Amino acid sequence: MNYLFLLIPFLALVALNLFSRKRMGEIAYWTCLVVFGLQSISAVSAIFGYVGISGQELNKLLNFNLYFDPLSLILIAITGLIACTSLIVGHNTIKTEHERFNFKNLFLVSVLGINGLAMTRDLFSLYVFVEVTAIATFILIALYKDRDAFEGVLKYLILSVVASVLMLTGIAVFLLAVGSVTFPALRLAMTTSNGNNLLSIATLLFISGLFIKGGLVPFHGWVADSYTAAPAAVTVFLAGIVTKAAGLFTLMRFLTSVSGFSSPIRDILLLVGTLSIIVGALLALGQNDMKRMLAYSSISQMGYIVVALGSGTKVGLIAALFHFFNHAIFKSQLFVNTAAIEAEVGSREMEKMGGLAVKMPYTAVTSIIGSLSTAGLPPLSGFWSKILIVMALWLAGYFTYAAIAVMASILTLAYFLRWQRSVFFGRLNESLTNVKEAKFGLVAPAVFLAGLSVVVGLLFPFFLKVVVR
Amino acid sequence: MVAPINWLDFRLDHFSLFIFAAITGFTVLATLYSLVFMKGKENVWQFYSYVLLTFILASGAVLANNLILFLFFWEGLLLTLFGLIFIGRKEAYKTAIKAVVIVGISDLCLLFGIVLTAYLAGTFTLSNISLPLTTLSSIAFIFMIIGALAKAGSMPLHSWIPDAALDAPLPFMALLPAALDKLLGIYFLARITLEMFQLQPGHWLSVLLMTIGALTIVLAVMMALVQKDFKRLLAYHAISQAGYMILGIGTAVPVGIVGGLFHMINNALYKSCLFLAGGSVEKQAGTTDLAKLSGLGKKMPITFACFVIAAASISGVPPFNGFFSKELIYDGALASGWIFYAAAVLGSFFTAASFLKLGHAAFLPLDGARGKGEEIKEAPWPMLLPMIIIASLCILLGVNNALPLNNLIQPILGAKLEGHSFAGWPHSAFLVIMTLIVLVLAWFNHRYGVAKSGKVLGASDHIHHAPVLSGLYDKAEKRYFDPYDLGMSFTNLLAKILFWFDRAIDWVHEVFTVKLVQALTGTLRWAQSGNFSTYVIWALLGVVIVAYLGLR
Repeated sequence: MNYLFLLIPFLALVALNLFSRKRMGEIAYWTCLVVFGLQSISAVSAIFGYVGISGQELNKLLNFNLYFDPLSLILIAITGLIACTSLIVGHNTIKTEHERFNFKNLFLVSVLGINGLAMTRDLFSLYVFVEVTAIATFILIALYKDRDAFEGVLKYLILSVVASVLMLTGIAVFLLAVGSVTFPALRLAMTTSNGNNLLSIATLLFISGLFIKGGLVPFHGWVADSYTAAPAAVTVFLAGIVTKAAGLFTLMRFLTSVSGFSSPIRDILLLVGTLSIIVGALLALGQNDMKRMLAYSSISQMGYIVVALGSGTKVGLIAALFHFFNHAIFKSQLFVNTAAIEAEVGSREMEKMGGLAVKMPYTAVTSIIGSLSTAGLPPLSGFWSKILIVMALWLAGYFTYAAIAVMASILTLAYFLRWQRSVFFGRLNESLTNVKEAKFGLVAPAVFLAGLSVVVGLLFPFFLKVVVR
Repeated sequence: MVAPINWLDFRLDHFSLFIFAAITGFTVLATLYSLVFMKGKENVWQFYSYVLLTFILASGAVLANNLILFLFFWEGLLLTLFGLIFIGRKEAYKTAIKAVVIVGISDLCLLFGIVLTAYLAGTFTLSNISLPLTTLSSIAFIFMIIGALAKAGSMPLHSWIPDAALDAPLPFMALLPAALDKLLGIYFLARITLEMFQLQPGHWLSVLLMTIGALTIVLAVMMALVQKDFKRLLAYHAISQAGYMILGIGTAVPVGIVGGLFHMINNALYKSCLFLAGGSVEKQAGTTDLAKLSGLGKKMPITFACFVIAAASISGVPPFNGFFSKELIYDGALASGWIFYAAAVLGSFFTAASFLKLGHAAFLPLDGARGKGEEIKEAPWPMLLPMIIIASLCILLGVNNALPLNNLIQPILGAKLEGHSFAGWPHSAFLVIMTLIVLVLAWFNHRYGVAKSGKVLGASDHIHHAPVLSGLYDKAEKRYFDPYDLGMSFTNLLAKILFWFDRAIDWVHEVFTVKLVQALTGTLRWAQSGNFSTYVIWALLGVVIVAYLGLR
């Protein structure tokens, strides 16, 4: 069944572009929605135990290995979900028919790439899928072809090239030293040849490349500009899934399947993670642009995931995965809220707003839920993942890092409170008296995702059981 | 297996019955008096509610046999105390708070003492407790007597009483500090010393109690001496007289204890009579400021007569009741140490002197020569009747002192007396002669004072302005010795320190942290140049760091 996750988006892409774009433009929205929705539903049902047919035969045919495990299924499920959200937002915010059609096509490619990297079992395929996703995303960011978009995408592109060079060099060294790039072969080589410098160098190069892709401090230069420059719908997907899948999911995969958690790697992860948490949060505190603030917040939250991985334990891995899932939900939702505000107010500058809670009640309430979930307040889902992260660090004996993770939550809360205070509460800004609640298409996804935050938070023990299994 | 505790345990033995009867009697008389006195005042309904509640709680405290139940009633009196002072004049709430703070803190000590006692005795039942005075039980003893002494109004826990005298409604003063509080405080003190702990003569706690009593007598009466207000003067006497009882009971010898208990009932009688007389004066003349009063004896003859009887009684003039109880206390004090006896006699001297001054200033001359105040008339009957009853009792208990001593007080001590009876004329001629000498001296002192200052109110000026005393008096008038004010200034200091401490903490997270975060954020924002070459360099430096850490 797993190959279908690649085949169906690909076939949809072909089908949409086979005939006149005008005709297809109208059905493209629904086609994509069905494709992404089905992907999410089937992955969720697979998580809950209905694994379908194996793709062994096709694997031989296509000559690359696809592999299913809870890790990939969770990524596929959440990708489908956020893709639907992003699609709905895009359908409601992108103005011209032409751009909308391009958006959907590129989106299919991007999702295809993520599905691929979720399931692949060798390092080179992983790299290829990362690049597939990245290239589709480059174009998506620059969809409107304005100056800011080009600036943003240029920075992303240049740093991605650096990342590509690092990753490719790493793969080349692996190929040189081991003679194969499949995960089991690499794992075997890593465990048997203890202290081989060549393998260490390859590992470090590959990890560095992934840090750039994931936008962690100090590899984060591109994040804020490209997030801010991208169209609202693209930012939802970019922040929620793309960078996380390309950077952190791959990191998780690489660490669990290839390199393992050796002591120097743990040190690197803890350092980079903590740096990201603090620098990201501090930068978020100083922003006036809502999207830019959320972008830095993203860096900070990525830091949490990396720190959790840095604990090197199973609890840490689960915590990282759970925070990955939560982050996709609440950060996408917050970007949807931002899109709603931008669509209605026409600005993203916090200082020009105030008192919007009266005018945009749904957006306000969902944004509060999202903010609190990010800051890790019980009983929202973000609380559970953060407490798991802290617990993982504590159990692994990293008391200082655990304390930093807890204290940084205060910073998280600080920048979100500042955002809430200046945008939704306080006195209504006089220029905003005519603002209305956003369109249904922008409110419904936010409500759905906020609801998910609450439900996952409340039913946490149930979800934990499923994931651990 | 622990026996279930009977929480609602009441006891009606001879002692509690006696106090209960006294409480009832005083409440009835004070209420009768209030019928006229409180007429037309604000908060009358509140006053009666509080009086009723006070009566219930006081009776409960006397009858309770379980220490926790006792504490419930005892602490309940704190509420009515607050309420009764609060409904006085406009600024009375400050005094009410003062009273509640002082009595409340001492009640807290009492609570601690009770818990410790119950822990040591293994029971809360009062009648089952009998502890020897070891180190730990001495602590319990001290904490419990703090509660009892504060209720009785002993120094240094007295300072709310003179303030309340001016602020609270007068029947309150006649009922609570003059009568009920003394009854309750001395009742509990007697229960502690006689029943719960075996206090022996010569024990250091006995000496401590006697010292407190002696100091209270002398210091309070010296304050009373220089007062220029009828009610305030009486209030200091209410404190001073408590000292006699504490001294008497503190001697721990039978004659002293009997004297102390007898003095308790005598004091309740004449002190409430004096307060009621003061109330009559206030009601009829409109003021209690002695400088504005004069010659009331002619206009208010019955009040005057009652006042004279009560004043003679408090000064220890034979054959009124105060004389006999004081003689018994002198007897006990002399047996324990001449210094205590000297203090008690000195107290008597000043008591007599101050009442000579008070009576002279307010009621004399009898010919009522002055023109003003012509319209002042005798108080109405409902106010006079309680005074007359109490004044008659003062005479009755004095002349026929066998009646209360044999029937009410001596049975309380029971076997301790070994068949002794203290009824009748004092057996020691020395004590009687000393008392008479002191009274005569007081008389001459008064004449000397009046002659020297040229006015009646100045009768105590030569003591007031004596070399060492005047400085002390000044300080006392400025409340340097008031434990409440001392405590409050300490509390204020503490509050100020805590306030600065709080500000400092506040500064750390309201100013310092914000500034720090702003500085950090500013630096980081400044570093985000927006230039991709910078970002590439950062990323490459990151790779170097990763490589360094990984290949170390």
